[in-house]
Amino acid sequence: MIGLRGTWTGRIALTTAATLTLLFLALPIIVIVVTSFGGDAFGSFPPSTWTLGWYRALFADGSKWPAALSLSVLVASITTVFSVVLGITAATALTRSELPLRSAVYALVLGPLLIPQVVTALGLFLLFEPASMLGSPLAIALGHTVLASPIAVMILVATLRGIDERLEDAAASMGAGRLTVARRITFPLAAPGIVAAAIFSFITSFDEFFISQFLSSATTVTLPVQVFNALSYDVDPSVTAVSAVLIAFAVLALVLVGLVRWIGTGRQHSLLSVENTAGLAPGGDAV
Amino acid sequence: MAGSLVRPATPVRPHSAPEPSRPRGLRHRLVGTRRARIGLLNVSPIVLYLLVLFVFPIVGTLLLSLKNADGSLTLHWYAEALSGANLSVLFTTLRISAETSLLSLAVGFVLANALSRLRPIWAGLVMLIVVVPHFISALVRTYGWIILLGDHGLANQTLTGLKIPGAPFRMLYNETGVVIGTTAVMLPYTVLLLYGVMRGVDRRLLAAAASMGAGRVRIFVRIYLPLVASGLASAGLLSFILCLGYYITPALMGGTKQTMVASLINDQVMKQDQWNGAAAQGVVLLLITFAGLLLLKAARSIGAGARKRSAS
Repeated sequence: MIGLRGTWTGRIALTTAATLTLLFLALPIIVIVVTSFGGDAFGSFPPSTWTLGWYRALFADGSKWPAALSLSVLVASITTVFSVVLGITAATALTRSELPLRSAVYALVLGPLLIPQVVTALGLFLLFEPASMLGSPLAIALGHTVLASPIAVMILVATLRGIDERLEDAAASMGAGRLTVARRITFPLAAPGIVAAAIFSFITSFDEFFISQFLSSATTVTLPVQVFNALSYDVDPSVTAVSAVLIAFAVLALVLVGLVRWIGTGRQHSLLSVENTAGLAPGGDAV
Repeated sequence: MAGSLVRPATPVRPHSAPEPSRPRGLRHRLVGTRRARIGLLNVSPIVLYLLVLFVFPIVGTLLLSLKNADGSLTLHWYAEALSGANLSVLFTTLRISAETSLLSLAVGFVLANALSRLRPIWAGLVMLIVVVPHFISALVRTYGWIILLGDHGLANQTLTGLKIPGAPFRMLYNETGVVIGTTAVMLPYTVLLLYGVMRGVDRRLLAAAASMGAGRVRIFVRIYLPLVASGLASAGLLSFILCLGYYITPALMGGTKQTMVASLINDQVMKQDQWNGAAAQGVVLLLITFAGLLLLKAARSIGAGARKRSAS
């Protein structure tokens, strides 16, 4: 095992098995991207001819995809705003104050991530149906925020924990008020985390299927619900192109998160180096 | 800093000698209560939000599952949810969840173990292949599996090409397909959890066992497995819990025999307007999930105890 030298057969077997597992994870995604450029509509892989026809078909007259896409973008945008606001306030409370019942708050916030989504969706359906809000983008966004805000809280708690509180204390000791500290110190340092929370909230809503399915009406259909319908009822070959677009979208979002974090790590270092040159002993306060 | 001269500075000055900790106690407590008030103010939006849109709807579901058409209390819906075809759907759900969790545990163990032997930087890069799919819609990944596992899909082409006896296999619209699809969805959780645990194993313990003459199998069974056992239990339980309420993959890749509770609830609400029955099934699912979470917590605390012992 680890710390011991493996035998050659052992190593080869392990490497092969691990490679197969990685293929297992990556193959479905590769297959979709390749098939979406293929001439034959469904199934056969690799395709015999190549075409961009399925992508053109997405925006052809009478296509249902543009409407579904714009609804999903609208819902995801509303969700992102709600989720980031809830996330910032909650994360501030959880990291920068002495909160009574902290573990109860954590349990409540983690709940939506662990409870079966069908239960959450059913409950929301029973809440919004009597209010005749089914099919309203706002209702879907309110539902998505239940799933997205816990993720935003987790990301922002990690972000705020990562900010050196001595920087805030230093600003306060020089007379900056609470709001000035938040605006001039904490917010700029937390910005990459806030962007990450926003992106993940957006993806969570954009990809969410079950709550949308329960809260949508015949006329308001989000993109994932439309994809599901295309896969289970009507045979619409352009669903492959939509799936490839969704993949590209998710990868792009992750690259963006990575980029923002990479920029963000530089900032705190530069602030702390100013502190060091000013002759402050780091770690003066209890860490 | 702007406004640094507006107010008199607080005692902590950059160049003053370190103060004795005298005023800390009282000030700390006063600041504490003020901080606590601000904390409550800040935490109230999300607490209120989740109470109204998460807890209240679930309580509503619970009440609905206990109500007759005329509003009187009844356990009728539970009797229905736990008998006949509905009961067999529940068993199917438990069986598929268990199969998924075992398979993703086995596959995840191998991958996490291989990763934990790599240098952290390489492991991080390979981990991208594990994590990136997790952020791609499960719907899309399921569609990928449908293309792959079809009768003339890549999987069957490869198996036939390798002259595997019995190929082509039927891997779609049956339990094999469902378990493959759900395992692919749960695998990132398992790998991440197990990787964390395996990185934490003290390699010197294994080397020590070897130096005292223990064989490979013995080291694995007596030293390594006990150290990662609680991680295995956590990962298995987590994928089991997450699988219980899963809908997309079973609905798209399963046949009629692979109907899971989530599909049943969906049909009852969307097609049969049978809300009470759906609510009762939802509550049953919720209770099983809670049981799983309790076990998860137990596994965690046992694991923490074991780590402490191995460290001492």
